[in-house]
Amino acid sequence: MAPQHGWAISERVQQVSSDVLKIQQGSLYPALHRLERRGWIKAKWGLSENNRRAKYYELTRAGQKQLEVETESWRRLTTAVAQILESV
Amino acid sequence: MLNDLLYRLRALFRRSTLETELNEELRFHFDHEVEKYRKQGMTDQEAKRRARLAFGGQEQVKEDCREARGTGFIETSLQDLRYALRQLWSNPSFAIVIILTLALSIGANSAIFSVISSVLLKSLPYPQPERIVRVFLTNSIYPKFPLNPFDFIDYRTRSKSFDFLAAYTRGDMQLSGGSAEPVSLHGFQITSGFFRVLGLHPQLGGEFDEKAETPGNGLQIILSDRIWRSRFDAAPDIIGRKITLNAQPFTVVGVMPAGVEHPGNEYHSLAYGDDIDLWSPFTFEGDPSRRGSHYIEGIGRLKDGITPERAQSEMNSVMAQLGREHPEDSHWQVMVIPLYREVVGASQRMLLVLLGAVGMVLLIACANAANLLLARAATRQREIAVRLALGASRSRLIRQLLTESLLIAFVGGALGLGMAAGGVKALVSLLPADFPRSREIHVSAPVFAFTFLVSAATGIVFGLVPAIQASRTDPRRGLHEGGRTSTATGRLSRLRNALVVSEVSLACVLLIGAGLMLRSLLNLVHLDPGFREKHVLTATLSLPRAEYKNEGVVGRFYNTLTTNLAALPGVESAGAGSDLPWTGYDENTSLNIEGKQPPPHDEFHARYHAATPDYFRALSIPLLHGRFFTAGDKSDAPTVIIINRAMAEKYWPNEDAVGKRVTWDDHPKEKDWFTVVGVVGDVKDKPNSPTAEPAFWWPDLQQPFSFVDMSLVIRSASNPESLADAVRNEVRRLDPALAVADVQWMDEIVYGSVATPRFAFVLVGLFAGLAILLAAIGTYGVISYSVSQRTPEFGLRMALGAQRLDVIRLVLMQAARLVLTGTALGLVLALTLARVLKNLIYDVSPADPLTFASVGLMVIAIAVLACYLPARKATKADPMIALRAE
Repeated sequence: MAPQHGWAISERVQQVSSDVLKIQQGSLYPALHRLERRGWIKAKWGLSENNRRAKYYELTRAGQKQLEVETESWRRLTTAVAQILESV
Repeated sequence: MLNDLLYRLRALFRRSTLETELNEELRFHFDHEVEKYRKQGMTDQEAKRRARLAFGGQEQVKEDCREARGTGFIETSLQDLRYALRQLWSNPSFAIVIILTLALSIGANSAIFSVISSVLLKSLPYPQPERIVRVFLTNSIYPKFPLNPFDFIDYRTRSKSFDFLAAYTRGDMQLSGGSAEPVSLHGFQITSGFFRVLGLHPQLGGEFDEKAETPGNGLQIILSDRIWRSRFDAAPDIIGRKITLNAQPFTVVGVMPAGVEHPGNEYHSLAYGDDIDLWSPFTFEGDPSRRGSHYIEGIGRLKDGITPERAQSEMNSVMAQLGREHPEDSHWQVMVIPLYREVVGASQRMLLVLLGAVGMVLLIACANAANLLLARAATRQREIAVRLALGASRSRLIRQLLTESLLIAFVGGALGLGMAAGGVKALVSLLPADFPRSREIHVSAPVFAFTFLVSAATGIVFGLVPAIQASRTDPRRGLHEGGRTSTATGRLSRLRNALVVSEVSLACVLLIGAGLMLRSLLNLVHLDPGFREKHVLTATLSLPRAEYKNEGVVGRFYNTLTTNLAALPGVESAGAGSDLPWTGYDENTSLNIEGKQPPPHDEFHARYHAATPDYFRALSIPLLHGRFFTAGDKSDAPTVIIINRAMAEKYWPNEDAVGKRVTWDDHPKEKDWFTVVGVVGDVKDKPNSPTAEPAFWWPDLQQPFSFVDMSLVIRSASNPESLADAVRNEVRRLDPALAVADVQWMDEIVYGSVATPRFAFVLVGLFAGLAILLAAIGTYGVISYSVSQRTPEFGLRMALGAQRLDVIRLVLMQAARLVLTGTALGLVLALTLARVLKNLIYDVSPADPLTFASVGLMVIAIAVLACYLPARKATKADPMIALRAE
């Protein structure tokens, strides 16, 4: 995935989740900064489509790995929850 | 992990950049969002409103982002620090008092710790110093005695515990030749392996081998780096050169590197670390079957893995063997002592006592600081209540208050370190001359670390309780308008009272310690030394045996010299003797007494000296009975001795000793008997010896062997500065190659002999003074606070007819309760603690009633005095103002 700035990420999350996740956009930024500190994403400043300075975030290799780990564990959790719900 | 750390560091040090970036990022988002709504056809205002709603609280987001940087802890601390600085700044007198008292106490701790770190904690400057041990003899009469040379050879061949075993004995020599003045230099005669024991190697040449120990091979010398540089210009070709020592040609075989520390010795002692310039071989002369005389000291390097205890038990069996072979050896045991213990053992207890004392001062300072903080917390109650009401958590509040106390402690610690640097210099100058390792004492890295830790601990100790106390403030009450009067809760004042009581009791303990030491010092100073030290100049001479070959020549020299000295203007009498009182002289002999038998398993023994006729007069040692020596006690006259009172009372109790005869020969002929002609007063062997040992003097013209080393004693009418030069001139007139050494006034020797107790007293006294000052401040603080709280009450009482005296009595009674409790506790505590002083004080019981009583009264008086000011203030309470304030 190409580097994206915060607003684009926020728009994309809303699109993809078909507006189900109505989080406050502001809470995205502390999350991004925390990920950056952990080294899972990296940020650099670049020019946006309308020629303004913007901070672009990009997944690092460590972040890619962490994503796989987290996705896997999420999948396991949802499967488990689904099974429990079905068995009731 | 690394990424995380780098990120946090960047966040910390480039905070403002990050802030701008954060603003820019959020702005970018916001603008895009607004743009999006505008494109949907909203008005500018409406779009902005929607964007704000979607985004959430701007400041909250920013705060969360800052939190996400992971620098929260440090940033909060910095914020607390800034706040603490502002707080201190706003109340400078409070800050100054608390910081100064802490600086003094932390500084005192650091100074004492510098001494401890350099003297006790640093290892001795030899490789693997823990393997070096000293070897002595011991028995019931002489607890620590030198070895017999031939015994030593047997130890060396028979023991298996040592890598190297060596022996050494004092052998000062006179260096002459060339254009420079002759000088007397400290030297030692050493056996082979002495430097290998220490783990040191000559920088030039080599060390002596066993061949050098045989008689006739002794004219070899190893030089110190110091003398090699100062007298021989560091000549690289010095090895093999002949130099003149004691008027004999010695061949230089080695030069030691700089920094060779003398391991210390007992017999003709030089303290650890004294400058030694010459080492010559010890040669084993005489009959190997005679084991009676003892004058060399053992030192050995244990084999790896051998403990001193194992070496000790091996030496015990070697000595038992020797005892069976030589009857003279049968009443001795060998004693193996680790070198470290031998060097610092005697000072260890005193240093630990000083550390304890200074630790108590710090505790008092902590109690004082805590008290001041508690008092201030009461006045800050409103502020704290506001913060609690606005949602600050208790832990957050405690943390902030602790930051304040830590800041105070660290500022105090930094100041204290500065004081310690100065204080250490003063300390070292106060130290007794023979104090071990005093040259190594300075403020070093461990002292910095110690000060840091102590400051941190101090900050927490005095800050924690007041902080917890403050955090318990009830916001409702604290905010209440009349909150001022409701603040003096019982719990708080009980805490403050407890602090004052402990301050007073600790100060009491220190004062008692100081009092005991003062009494001990006074006892020592007022002891009758047995001689009069005023206006007596002393010096030592060493006549080279090569030129002064027999008793006649030596005797004539001293006879002429003392006669010439006595003729100098202002001189009342001049004599020479084998030694001076209190300079560590310790020569003993066994003897036979005509018509008496020693008790079984014992022998008659006494310390021997030699003296010219005027020696006793010059020192004002009183003649009790009989006569002094005269010019007539010559080598061809009947042989005589003078004995001291201790010898007369021990060997001739209830008899007249004058006229009795003694001898040193086991099968005496008539000419071997010496007749007692006089009894003189006792001169104690050390200023604090309980009694004098039996001792006698030969006339210097009749001594059985010649003392070439003699001390001069010259009594003059006053202390003229020129006398020392006059003495040097007289010596030079007789023999220009002689060095005059150790020129000093007898009262300096006397003064130096109580240097250790004086040092201990001065320090403990200083600490005690500081302690009582702090305790007085503490008491004053608590009482004056309580008076300010009770002002309305006092006003009311006065309005109802109470007299000034009644009010004063009321306040003083309150103070007296605290002070009396503190004093009582302190006296009990001192009674238990003073036992550790037992070996440090002289002729005073650790439970000395006079000291305890006077300290108790003094503490009460000082504390009550400290309360007088607040008490007077209480009487000024105006009933009207007091009532209106309610």
